[in-house]
Amino acid sequence: MPMKGRFPIRRTIEYLQKSDIFFKNTVKIMTVNYNTHGELSEGARKFVFFNVPQIQYKNPWVQVVMFKNITPSPFLRFYLDDGSQVLVDTEGKTNKEILQHVKKILGKPEEVLRAEELAKMVHSNPANFGPQKYFPRECMCEMEGQVPCPGLIPLPKEMRGKYKMQAEAEDA
Amino acid sequence: MSLKTATVHAKWIIGKVIGTKMHKTAKVRVTRLVLDQYLLKYYNKRKTYFAHDALEQCTVGDIVLLKALPERRSKHVKHELTEIVFKVGNVIDPLTGKKVAGTKFIESLGEPTEDSAGSLTNKLDKLTLSAAPGEAHEKNSGL
Repeated sequence: MPMKGRFPIRRTIEYLQKSDIFFKNTVKIMTVNYNTHGELSEGARKFVFFNVPQIQYKNPWVQVVMFKNITPSPFLRFYLDDGSQVLVDTEGKTNKEILQHVKKILGKPEEVLRAEELAKMVHSNPANFGPQKYFPRECMCEMEGQVPCPGLIPLPKEMRGKYKMQAEAEDA
Repeated sequence: MSLKTATVHAKWIIGKVIGTKMHKTAKVRVTRLVLDQYLLKYYNKRKTYFAHDALEQCTVGDIVLLKALPERRSKHVKHELTEIVFKVGNVIDPLTGKKVAGTKFIESLGEPTEDSAGSLTNKLDKLTLSAAPGEAHEKNSGL
């Protein structure tokens, strides 16, 4: 059974993750002004339909607001943390051109992205143990070849603290 | 519990003014896109914020840019008005700087100045209403 709606591929996680625009940390708000009719806004409309979900998926802390039919010319506006605004005219551009332009001016460059990824990897060491939510393993007993969990299989007497204490007491 | 000195991640927000009945305070509705987990589609989720507006210059329907205050002003007011982005009824196109009404520039629609009243009276004078059928036909064709 196929997915519902036109271009339902937009609603797949794989599609949402495909975007590579990570906004710089100073970008707080993205505003898209476009018109519902007219050829000039065609690129902006496609941008909103296809690309805005991808951008919002990768930048969950940026507020994205859409305005329809407010001004005759379509544009994008970004509000940065220091109060400055960046105006991007989209009249006559296709949605791919808009994407590339936005990535060039406000996207994090590749080196920064790679550095951040490395930093994340350093933080999340797969050798650590802990709650299942954050780490791959909780206890050593899960590994093959290690002592099985004493909750399931009782430990042999020699390993139990009780007997060790008794043996020491006998020796002493 | 200590007081929050700065709002979390809502440093700058854009919203629409929905109420100005409070003294020097505007009620602003902010929409953010939230992903529906099952449909995987983004929908607008609304949240209202109260913003301090010292000059009471907002009207209902303005699109407004708010900035987070360094300290809470009162129990609910944590933001202040920085800029009216689009004033209702008086939208200015940022690319050209001209006044705009919907998707048309106001200048292209023609100037409705005081001449309109004068021209209407002139038109009324010109309108000679008579019962003659020929003239009535002409007027109808004109319409």
